[in-house]
Amino acid sequence: MARVDLKRICKRYPGVIALDDVELTVAPGEFFTLLGPSGCGKTTLLRTIAGFNRQDSGEILFDGTRIDTMPAHLRNIGMVYQDYAIFPHKSVADNVAFGLAMRHTARSEIDARVTRALDVVQLGGLATRMPHELSGGQQQRVALARAMVINPQILLMDEPLSNLDAKLRVELRDDIRDLQRSLGITTIYVTHDQEEALVISDRICIMQGGRVHQVAAPLEVYSRPATLFVASFVGSMNVFERLPVGPGGEVTIGAVTGTLPALAGRAQVTLAMRPEDVILSGAGEDAGEAIPLDGAVDKVTYAGREAFYRLTCADGLRILAHVSRPDQGRLAAVGERLAMALPLARLHAFDPADGRRVEVHP
Amino acid sequence: MVLAIAVLGVLLVWPLSSIFTASFIDNTTREPTLGNYARVLGQPYFQAALGNSLIVGVGGMLGAMLLGVPLAALTARYVIVGRDFLATLAVLALVSPPFIGAYAWIMMLGRNGFVRLPLEEMGIEVPSIYGYFGIILVFSLKFYPFVFLLASSSLRTINPSVEEAAEGLGAGPWRRFFGVTLPLVFPAVSAGALLTFVLSLADFGTPAIVGGKVRVLATTAYNLFTSEMTGNPGLASATSVVLIVLSLVVVVLQRASVRRRNVAGNLIRKSAPKQLGPLASAAAHVVCYSIVLASSLPSLVVMYTSFRKTSGPVFKPGYGLDSYERILREVPQVIGNSATYSLISVALIVILGSLIGYLVARSESRIAGFLDSALFIPYIVPGVVLGLAFVVTFNVKPIEITGTATIIVLMLFIRRLPYSVRSSASILKQIRGSIEEAAVSLGASPARAFMKITLPLMLPGIVAGALMSFITAINELSSSLILYVGRTMTMPVRIYLSVLDGEFGTAAALSTILLVASGVAVYVVYWVSGRNESAFV
Repeated sequence: MARVDLKRICKRYPGVIALDDVELTVAPGEFFTLLGPSGCGKTTLLRTIAGFNRQDSGEILFDGTRIDTMPAHLRNIGMVYQDYAIFPHKSVADNVAFGLAMRHTARSEIDARVTRALDVVQLGGLATRMPHELSGGQQQRVALARAMVINPQILLMDEPLSNLDAKLRVELRDDIRDLQRSLGITTIYVTHDQEEALVISDRICIMQGGRVHQVAAPLEVYSRPATLFVASFVGSMNVFERLPVGPGGEVTIGAVTGTLPALAGRAQVTLAMRPEDVILSGAGEDAGEAIPLDGAVDKVTYAGREAFYRLTCADGLRILAHVSRPDQGRLAAVGERLAMALPLARLHAFDPADGRRVEVHP
Repeated sequence: MVLAIAVLGVLLVWPLSSIFTASFIDNTTREPTLGNYARVLGQPYFQAALGNSLIVGVGGMLGAMLLGVPLAALTARYVIVGRDFLATLAVLALVSPPFIGAYAWIMMLGRNGFVRLPLEEMGIEVPSIYGYFGIILVFSLKFYPFVFLLASSSLRTINPSVEEAAEGLGAGPWRRFFGVTLPLVFPAVSAGALLTFVLSLADFGTPAIVGGKVRVLATTAYNLFTSEMTGNPGLASATSVVLIVLSLVVVVLQRASVRRRNVAGNLIRKSAPKQLGPLASAAAHVVCYSIVLASSLPSLVVMYTSFRKTSGPVFKPGYGLDSYERILREVPQVIGNSATYSLISVALIVILGSLIGYLVARSESRIAGFLDSALFIPYIVPGVVLGLAFVVTFNVKPIEITGTATIIVLMLFIRRLPYSVRSSASILKQIRGSIEEAAVSLGASPARAFMKITLPLMLPGIVAGALMSFITAINELSSSLILYVGRTMTMPVRIYLSVLDGEFGTAAALSTILLVASGVAVYVVYWVSGRNESAFV
C-alpha cells in the first residue's frame, strides 16, 4: 500500500504534448481512475508510472521515494493490460508464478501463494490449463492474479475490461473493486468509459489533451464538473453556448429570460443542464425558480428503465429531457408539444473563454 | 544493430558497389568508360540476351499465374478431395531446385526422351524442349506454387460477407469476381507474379541446361566472366547491373501498384469451401491434379532414374544402386561440402537473422526500417550477379578469400539471410509488446523477459525460417558455380556439370539426395508451423 506522488510530469512527442505538467497525488489504498477520450494522455501517464515510458521532466514518488530513475522491472508494480498479455506458452499456474520466480521465492511458497491467488480470482480448478483453453474473462482473471500475487506497491490497470462483453464486464468490474478493497492495494486504473469510472473509483482524474481537468470523487465530478469538457464527457449535458449576459445577470434561453445574479458583470456565459434536471410538465415536481419553455418532441428514445425526448423549442433550440420510469405513464409521441421547465438552481455555468466552472449558486 | 549494419555493408553493399564500379572500367585500357554499357545496350548480341530474358521472365510469370491462380481459386472455393496433399506436392515442387526440373524434362522430352520417342512413333509432333518452350515450361511448373500459396492465403482471408454484400447489391457472379474478389486478391497475386518474374529473370541453371541457343542475361554474364578466351569482367559487370536494374524496376512498379490498393482484410467470418455438382467437381479435380502432378513429374522422373542400372554414362535395363555407389566412390566430398556449407551458413543466419528480425519488428528507429529495405536486395539480385560481385570484391587484400569454403558460406549466408529475418520479424509482430512488458513489470529484466518469454514464442518462426534457409542454401547453384574450386564443389554444381557431361545417372542420384533432404526439411517446417503453407513464401 503506497502513496503515489506525480510532480509536474511533462512528455512531448513530435507534434503532440502527451502530458502537460501533470501533478497528482494518489492516497494509500485508493482506487484512482484516469478517465478521458483516446489520446488524452491517460495511457501515456500510466506507462510512465510503470516505467515503460520516460517522462521529459517531472518526478514520480512512491511513499516519498523517487522511483522514476529506476528501471521498470525493479519498481514492484502489478500491471494488467487490455489484451490480457498472458504468456501463451505457460500454464495458468506458471503465469501466476512468473513474478515470484523472478524474485527467487522458494518453490513451496510459490505453490502456496499461486494456489491462494487463483482461489481469490475464482480460478481454483484451472491451474494446469493453458491460456488458449480459457475465455477472455478467465484470462483477465489470470492476469489479475499474476499482478496481485507479487504484493506490488501499486496496481496499474490499462482498460482491463474493454475487450470483454457487457455482462462479463460488469461482473469482473465488481470483482476487481471488491478484491482491491479487501487487499487495500493502491490502484491506478485507466478507462475511457465514464460509467465504469463512476462505479469503480474512489476518485477520478479527468484528462484531455495531456492536461488534468478535474480530480474528485465520482459524485463531485458528476454534480459539479470543473470544466465544460468534464460536464459533457461525463454523462450527457444540454449545452447553451456563449449566451450574452445582461447587466443584472439576465440570460435568455429559447426566448425566455431568467436571472442569475452571480453572473452580473460578465459579457458571456455558457450554461449547461443535465437531461434529468429538465422538468417535464405533469411530472409533479416543483421547479422552483425556472425558465419555462415549450417544444415539439422530434425524437423518442426508449430504453426500458428510462427514456429520452429530444425537443425543439422556439429559435430552433434543442433540448434533451430524461424521463424516469417511462412505464409509469404514457410515452409522448413524435410531434407532440410538451411544456418543460429548466430550474435555475440546476444550471451549470462555464466561462466561455477557458471552459472553467463559474459558481452561480451560493 | 552496428553488427547487422557492418555485415550488410561488407557482404552486400561493398560487393555490389564494386561490381557497379567495375562496369565502368574498360577491359583493356583499365580507364573509366561508358563503353561497356554502350555495348550491352547497343550490340545485337546483348540486345538479344536482354530480349530473351524479358521473354522468359514474362513467359515464366504468365505460365505460373496460369497454373497458380486457378489452382488457388478452385482449392480455396470448392471442396477438392486431397487438398492438403496437393498443397504439399506443390510445396515440394517449390523447394526442388529448378535445374533438376530442367534436366528431368530433357530426359522426358529431349532428343531421345522417353516420352518424346513413343509420342513420335504415334505421329505426335512435340516441340523441341531446347529453347523458349523448355525454359518457360520449367519456370511455369517450378514457380507456380508461389502464386498458388500467396493467392490462396489471400483468398482465405476474404470475408465471404463482402462477396455476399456485392451479391445483395445486385452484382452477378462475373461482376462480383472482377469487381470485388479480384481487387482484393490483387496485392497477393501481383506479389506472386513479381516473385516469379524476378526468379525467372535471375535463374541461371534452367536456361543453361535447356536454353539451347537461347541466351539470357544471367547466362551471358556468366559466360563473359568465366570464358578464358573472351572473358570480360567489365562487360559481365555491366550485364549484371542491367539485370539488377531490370528486377528493381519491376519490384518498384509492383510495390507502387499495391500501395494504392492497400486493402484491409477482416476475418470476422471465414469462408467455407462449397461442394460443386458432380460434373463440375470432376473437372475441377482433373484441373487441380493435372497441374500438381505435372509439376511433381520431374522429381519423380529423377528419383526413378537414380535407381536404374548404369554403365558409365549409359543407362541399362534393370534397376540397382549403381549410381549411388558411383557418387559415393567418386564424389563423396561433394555431399559433405553441401551439408557443411549449408549447416554453417544456416547457423549464422539463425543467430543474426533473429537478431535483425527483432530489431525490424520492435525498433521504431529509421535504421531498423533501412535494414528492412536493405534485406530486400538479396531477393532481387540474381545469384550469378552476387557471385560475380563476390569474386570481384574478395580476390584482393584485405579480404582475399576466393577459392575458399568461407566465401561460399558467406555467399549462402547473405543470400538466404532474409528468410530468417522475415520469419522471425513476422512472428514477433504477432507477439504483442504487452506480453514482454508484463514480464518486465513482474520483475524480469528486459534481457530476462526476452529469454524467458519472447524467445520461446519466437522459436517456431525461427525454426521455420532456418529450414527455409537450409532448403534454399543446399540447393543453391548459380553463385556456387562461380565461386567453387575443385575441393569446394557442392552437390548442385556437381549435378550441373554431370548433366552437361551427359552423366544422368550421377546427376539423378545426387538430385535424389537433395530432394529427400529438402522434403524432410519441408515436413519439419509443416510440423513446427502448424500446417501453414504460407510459411514457404
